[in-house]
Amino acid sequence: MTSREAEWSALLRAAMEGDGRAYARFLVLVTPVLRGIVPARGWALGPEGQEDVVQEVLIAIHTKRHTWDQSAALLPWLYAVTRHKVVDAFRRRGASVHLPIDDYADVLEAEAVPDALAVRDSAVLIGQLDARSAAIVRAVSLDGQSTAEVGARLQMSEGAVRVALHRAIQRMARLAKGME
Amino acid sequence: MMKTEDLIGILAADSVPPPMLRPKRIAGLVLVVMAVAVTLFLWSFGIRDSVAQAMMQPQVAAKTLLPLALCAIALPFALVQMRPGAAQVVRLRWLAVPLGVAAGLWLWAFVTLPPEARFVEVSPFSLTECLGLISGLSLLPLGVLLLMMRRGASAAPMRAGAMAGLGVAGGIAAGYSLFCVMDNPLFYVTWYGVAIAAITALGAVAGGWLLRW
Repeated sequence: MTSREAEWSALLRAAMEGDGRAYARFLVLVTPVLRGIVPARGWALGPEGQEDVVQEVLIAIHTKRHTWDQSAALLPWLYAVTRHKVVDAFRRRGASVHLPIDDYADVLEAEAVPDALAVRDSAVLIGQLDARSAAIVRAVSLDGQSTAEVGARLQMSEGAVRVALHRAIQRMARLAKGME
Repeated sequence: MMKTEDLIGILAADSVPPPMLRPKRIAGLVLVVMAVAVTLFLWSFGIRDSVAQAMMQPQVAAKTLLPLALCAIALPFALVQMRPGAAQVVRLRWLAVPLGVAAGLWLWAFVTLPPEARFVEVSPFSLTECLGLISGLSLLPLGVLLLMMRRGASAAPMRAGAMAGLGVAGGIAAGYSLFCVMDNPLFYVTWYGVAIAAITALGAVAGGWLLRW
């Protein structure tokens, strides 16, 4: 068993018992690997499109994490989810993948600066949420507030915030697979 | 505007773990729904007379065992498909065994029966009964199975849906065969085959739609 398998499966196992910190750590470790996989197949999407696909894969990992059989290895599951979502994302973008020839230089240049990926913004998913969901999502993400703090600020119970957050993620997952 | 780092924060905040996927429980539930459908049907319409005696004849037993074999291969395949990257325990090439036996039975009956006896059972009523009941009884269990499979993550949704349809229709046809008195393989291989194929196709179409993720 590789150390990555051991480390990641321990983190996700802890996450599946409700350990949000272990879960965040797991996702932080997975993301750079996804950023390595996605451009290999989707260089034509450009850095922004690639980061959208990375986000779609992360959402799929999140919404399907219960399908991992905890008695089996994690990495085959993770790679299968990633492969499926990457193929799916590129298939759906089929038509828009064809860039004018002049843009190729820009794409290649952007690829040479991988750090640019990390600071890029995506309006695709969050931009389509309703105002309240987006406010909750923003408060949790941008301001780093806990669900309890967000609840206090928006005069909602923590449970209601959690439910709204969960629904917003499910909605983003549906948006990401082009069903809304 | 959302950075990937923010998305990670959002996902981690949604940390209440979902209930684990339990394929065996789904299998159990769909088998119960299939059994209830078949039992209600047999209870209303009755099992054929002297069923045990009839079953001693190989071509009558095959009418039950062949669709049962399709079910035993396709259903586990569909359920394992719910877990990405899971090793398949059942290989689809095993489907060649019941399909091959069915084709062999059909040919054997065609060769051994006199021409006038080959398709004597075919009538609008018998076809409606056979096709209508096998496919009709399959609809509810297939719907239940596909809805439960949505919690999974099948990498090939159409194939997973097709195997769900094949599994359900095979099981239902096996139950239906206890009622059916058409023991001519030319009849039952053809028309059970058409009904099962139709439900398999329906499963594929519905799966392509319902099991996308």
